[in-house]
Amino acid sequence: MHDCPPPKAALASWLKAYGTVEGGNYGHLLLEQQAESDDTLLSALRPYFESAHLDAREHFHRKIGISLHPDSAATTTVNYPSCLPTKALRGLFGEAMAGLVTEAYQDEFVGGHVWQVPIFLFREHDDVEKYLWALRYDPERVREIYGRHGTDFVAISLNNDREVVRVIAGEAKWRKSLTESTVAALLLGPKVRNEETGVLAHTGKGIWYELNRDTAIPHGLRQLQFVLEQRDREGHADIILSIDRAVLNLGPPPERTDLVIICGNGAAKRERADPLIAWEQPPSEYRAGRDLQIVEVILERGDVLIDALYASLWSTP
Amino acid sequence: MAARDEERLALAEQVRQSLAIENALTRPQARAYVRCLQSTWQVPTIAWAEHESAGQLNDARRLLHAAHIFSVIEGAESPRAIDCYRRTGEILEWLSRAEDGTRHIVPIELLAAGAYQLGGLPAMAAGLLDQVESEHDGVRLYASFLRADLDDAVRRAGRFWRRHPDLTSTDADSAILAAMRGGDEAPGVMWAVTVELVRCVGLIADSIRRGDDVRLARALEKLHALDELAHRMFSHDAALVISLMRQVADRYASASIFNPMRRLAALRPERSGRLLRYARDQFSRGRGILWTSQLHGIERLLHTSSFALCTPTGSGKTLVANLALIKELLLRDHDDGLGPLALYIVPSRALAGEVEAKLSSELRGDVIVTGLYGGADWGITDVWLTSEEPVVLIVTVEKADALLRYLGSILLTRLTLLIIDEAHQVVPEANEATAVSFSDHSNRSLRLENLVSRILARRPDVTRIALTAVAGGASGPVARWIEGDPDADAVGVRYRSTRQVIGVLETSPGTSGQILLDLMNGKPLYLKGQENPVYLPLRYEAMPQLPSQWRNSLNRFNSLTVLWTALHLAREDQRILISVAQEPEQTMRWFKEALELDAWDAIVDFEPPGARLGERFEEACAACRDYCGPDSFELFLLERGIATSHGQMPQRLRRLMVEMIDKKICPITVATATLTEGVNLPFDLIFLTSLKRRSWDPVEEEPVVIPYTTAEFRNLAGRAGRPGASRGIEGMTLVALPLRPSTTANGPRPTQQRQLREWADEYDKLRQQLLAEEQELGGAESPLALLLNRIWEKARDVLGITPDAFMDWLEKTAPGDVSADAGAGATGARARIADAMDELDSVLLTAIAESEEGSAAPMDRARAEAEMRELWARTFTAVAREQEDWLESAFIRRGAGIVEHLYPDADERLRLYHYGFTPVIGRRFEAVAEKIRALLADATEYGDLSAKDRIDIFEAIGNLLEGDKGFGFRVRATIGDQAILDQWNDVLGWWMAEPGARAPEADDLRVWQRFVADNLEYRLGVAVGAVVAKAWSDGAPDATTTPMLGEWKQTAGLPWFGFWARELLRWGTHDPFVAFCLSQGLAQTREAAAQRRPAFETWLDDEIDDVVAEDRIDPQHFQQWQTSLARHEPDAPEQESIDARLTGTDGRNRRYAVVAVRDGDDTRWLDPAGFELAVSKAQTPSGSRLFRSDFELRTAGNRAGVVRVFRPA
Repeated sequence: MHDCPPPKAALASWLKAYGTVEGGNYGHLLLEQQAESDDTLLSALRPYFESAHLDAREHFHRKIGISLHPDSAATTTVNYPSCLPTKALRGLFGEAMAGLVTEAYQDEFVGGHVWQVPIFLFREHDDVEKYLWALRYDPERVREIYGRHGTDFVAISLNNDREVVRVIAGEAKWRKSLTESTVAALLLGPKVRNEETGVLAHTGKGIWYELNRDTAIPHGLRQLQFVLEQRDREGHADIILSIDRAVLNLGPPPERTDLVIICGNGAAKRERADPLIAWEQPPSEYRAGRDLQIVEVILERGDVLIDALYASLWSTP
Repeated sequence: MAARDEERLALAEQVRQSLAIENALTRPQARAYVRCLQSTWQVPTIAWAEHESAGQLNDARRLLHAAHIFSVIEGAESPRAIDCYRRTGEILEWLSRAEDGTRHIVPIELLAAGAYQLGGLPAMAAGLLDQVESEHDGVRLYASFLRADLDDAVRRAGRFWRRHPDLTSTDADSAILAAMRGGDEAPGVMWAVTVELVRCVGLIADSIRRGDDVRLARALEKLHALDELAHRMFSHDAALVISLMRQVADRYASASIFNPMRRLAALRPERSGRLLRYARDQFSRGRGILWTSQLHGIERLLHTSSFALCTPTGSGKTLVANLALIKELLLRDHDDGLGPLALYIVPSRALAGEVEAKLSSELRGDVIVTGLYGGADWGITDVWLTSEEPVVLIVTVEKADALLRYLGSILLTRLTLLIIDEAHQVVPEANEATAVSFSDHSNRSLRLENLVSRILARRPDVTRIALTAVAGGASGPVARWIEGDPDADAVGVRYRSTRQVIGVLETSPGTSGQILLDLMNGKPLYLKGQENPVYLPLRYEAMPQLPSQWRNSLNRFNSLTVLWTALHLAREDQRILISVAQEPEQTMRWFKEALELDAWDAIVDFEPPGARLGERFEEACAACRDYCGPDSFELFLLERGIATSHGQMPQRLRRLMVEMIDKKICPITVATATLTEGVNLPFDLIFLTSLKRRSWDPVEEEPVVIPYTTAEFRNLAGRAGRPGASRGIEGMTLVALPLRPSTTANGPRPTQQRQLREWADEYDKLRQQLLAEEQELGGAESPLALLLNRIWEKARDVLGITPDAFMDWLEKTAPGDVSADAGAGATGARARIADAMDELDSVLLTAIAESEEGSAAPMDRARAEAEMRELWARTFTAVAREQEDWLESAFIRRGAGIVEHLYPDADERLRLYHYGFTPVIGRRFEAVAEKIRALLADATEYGDLSAKDRIDIFEAIGNLLEGDKGFGFRVRATIGDQAILDQWNDVLGWWMAEPGARAPEADDLRVWQRFVADNLEYRLGVAVGAVVAKAWSDGAPDATTTPMLGEWKQTAGLPWFGFWARELLRWGTHDPFVAFCLSQGLAQTREAAAQRRPAFETWLDDEIDDVVAEDRIDPQHFQQWQTSLARHEPDAPEQESIDARLTGTDGRNRRYAVVAVRDGDDTRWLDPAGFELAVSKAQTPSGSRLFRSDFELRTAGNRAGVVRVFRPA
């Protein structure tokens, strides 16, 4: 279970926060790196990241190595998540950062709710489309087989009875260089050439599209409940029951806040305090009509930080 | 229970109550279903908005979640979880079949199939997945797994490994880990998870069917791990699919037939090899994963002995019966000497054939399976009588009764197990037709009750199992009866295994007609008066206008519209039964005449099949030509892909027709209800052209109209959409109702107007009754109670007997005292009472005589009363419901009356018992019996006689019967039937294939067939059979003598003709050799059989020096000749061993399960989890579809070879 509090002090000195809430339902938080990513920072982040990855690590270590070879009785040892390729680590970093930011900066977030992430789901659904249904390793595959992904990230807000009253869900993305076109592709979908007109245009199937069509109760909530049930049904009985109520659509549904968090290195031309997404009002492409929180995490040499951070997990006594 | 679980259950229950009550649809669900049906039929659908799809999908998700709560807290078998899973399956199925857009967003077919499996409806899972074909290999693999097609899952996994040889190396073992360590360009974790999933699915599928629990456990452990991973890493829907597959895999593992087989094997470990092979074989037949109802039945079978199993049609009752046979016949210790015997009682000869075929194919080699439904009581099939092997006798009630009368001691001594199929047939309908059937001596319920009660009274210790498809009212009483325990309850589950839709085919001249959808699983699909009726408008061109004479009959118009519709539907691969209430020959003629018109002929889309099926079709045509004639309606229709069947059709032809339907050679069938009594046939759609039968009451001189009972209708409707058999998921039963008169003339119009109203009313009435009965679950009627009540009521009303005087009257009054017409089939009120009393006497006298036969003690009143009391306690009537005490008293008093007043001579009782007629008729028969015996005894030259002389002997016997209305010939009081009676010797000549005999016109064929079935096969056959059996009994030293061919003539004191006479009547031939060939399958037609005779004669001349007439018909010679023909098959198939070189194992385990993957000329031997273990160079095992076989890689030192350890039948 994830139970490590966010290292707020270290974050405060590492990142400069520009937070705004407009119209009562649109929050924008720009976090701009203002200090070196040094060993002190790593030491401060490490416990949080270890905590975030603990559930998945335990799971991998216990079960995934089971061999089905008829001669083999052993289970191969794994060192999760350090063993993952660097690309995968960046994805994980984005999702862990979503939790970290949500827990650490809740005062700056729209609505000022108290968020907690009982367990991190590190989801990789894009690839599922390519492999699981088609049984082919085809990196070029574009057409979707089943086109619904759900959101990357889920956190919850509880009332005094430990019932889920609000959910924050959305997308957490890492990009090495946060240029305007990269961000546009994330938000609006990649650009493809129109076969008739020859014009390059966004597909429209980016983050906004996914958020607009997502259900009021994110499916991730159900998966979160599943893991809680497996891990500690008794300890989370109240949360589990309130998620039942939400999923079964019985009783008042929990409110939902949408979250979009974009992490990466600032583009070369970027000015200080420049937001990638306008903070004054929610983007017109966003039409879900819920509370929306945007977070931009602008780092310098973030990929070096990621490699160092993941190399350090469970490696220091 | 964990904290707050009660509240979780309460939430889930709310959802179940609002969305998932069995057989009750919410209005949106009903709409979704209607839309699904309309889409399936490709007709315009009701208005439907995208948000409605979203709403249904959302409901399905909620139900899945509710099911999850129930199963987490209450266990996987939680009935409430099952409700939720079923409705989830339905909702998603309806979206899928409506081609809903959600199909491209969510894998709803896979989710639906998983939900159906967990809801205990595997046939629905398979039915849905049969209809959708994905282009994606992953979806296909998971679909194969979710429909429990394990062979196909193994095949698809094998294809995956063939395409990805790099993943089959030993070091591909930890693919996930390798992927993790790879660089950014590596396929990544998800690909690795996918590969591991394929490994799991392949290994689970293969391990389950092989019964390899060790590997199965490991594969399941891994699948659980992947499931948990999926919940963390995959999108919700992908995770759901994997989660359902994991749960379904768990279910497969726990519902594998290997589990009960291992427990059974514990009874006799030395037989475990055979039992496990049986289990493996069941998997190759697609029956290795047991249904819930089977699991319940088998659980009872393992713990106790006798029970009643109540389970829907098509859910595998036969398998439970098979296991019972295995347990009782093969696994129990039996005394040395003759092998144990099981009696398997079926309601019809047609069903006997089906059961025999199934049992023989599965138990061959261990058990002698003999169907005595058509063959002689003994004779050619006498091997069972003397065998030391276990025996299963499959018999109709009538045949079992005859066996008891003559071989009772032998039979009951060996009897170990009694199986009663369709046991609910012991419950009669409480109506006038039933009451009349008592007087006609044709009530089947009473016969079944009587037979089983007698067996139980004499062998109370025998194990018995009742199988019944009908739940509700009958199951409790049947269980109490079978178990002999007042608290017993039926094992099984109450649900419909298929979906049944009932509606109307609205016919109207000049239009294509439309289908009104009315009820689904007994519940209305739309609210009358509040919602619009739900229609499927048909899009075929309208039927061309019929000639005026044809359309002046509304009935003819209606029937032809049904045919027109059926011909079009058959082009869409639908299987259709046109069920005719009566006079099928009229419908057949109408159909033939229509199909002779060009416009009709053009839409017949039937090509006779090729290859083996083509041979079967040719055989059916040949038999049809043989028995019905070249100009018959039957042959004409068969050649156009329309099978026919009715109760009067000769047995052999009927069985072939059933085969034409069962093998899906003929897409359309025209039949009366006798076709479907208990027989599994694959129909998608059933049309009824009428809801009533009419006849003429010659006494009252008025028409008698008997509407279909709801039980009849339900039985019929239950045959539509059988799981796994038909293409559609639901079976539809449609009553054809015209909307307008078909005539264009003024004369017939008023009649047709009246018919329109009547028919519509009849349907409405039926519909109301069906709806009302959905609610009812009362006790059951019982035969003896109805019979006794009938006698009492008529004695009171017609004879003026007072309640006080009744018992005394009943004890002392002979049927002949009530009516001089007793035993003559008369229909007057007094005669009917007398005949009902005679029927009761038959029950009582049979029991008394059986008791007397088994014991030398004198039968007196006290003993008779005690034994009747004992017998009563064994009857179904005694347990069916709270009975009034007087019924038992009346039964006992009449029993005492039999001994004291009515049939006081014990010798006479025994003779009457042996004849098998009711006592009044038997007494009259006695006088004729001696004459028949004399005729039989004189026929010593039969073997040398000409056809004419042979048939003259039958005629002479028939003349003895002709005049008596009890045991003699009987026809209906119609002019046509009376005319037949006057010329019955013509019919005899035709039926017995006398050269030059006059054949009936096509129109008359069925009347002739009816005479053959009712009078030649049945009455003449029964009379001859009774005389022959009596002759043999008289000659046998004692009641335990076993009939043997070697001593038969001497014992019976009759020539071989006596042995054959009844068989000849059955096969329609005067030549015993022809009957022999047909019964042994040595010829397809009578003509073909006759053509083999010269070969036999040649053989006979070589074998015997002085051939006399008796040699030509000696069944022992026939058998010896047949043996001389037999080719010697090798005892066991050679076990092929293929050399192999180890590539992916050091052989440490010595034996490895492998699957064959072809690689050019080589064969790669892969572990089912996808690891290459060995390769055979330039060698491949023989046969195609290797994935259905089991191979084993065996290693010894540095040698290795692959052996096929299982090959499907």
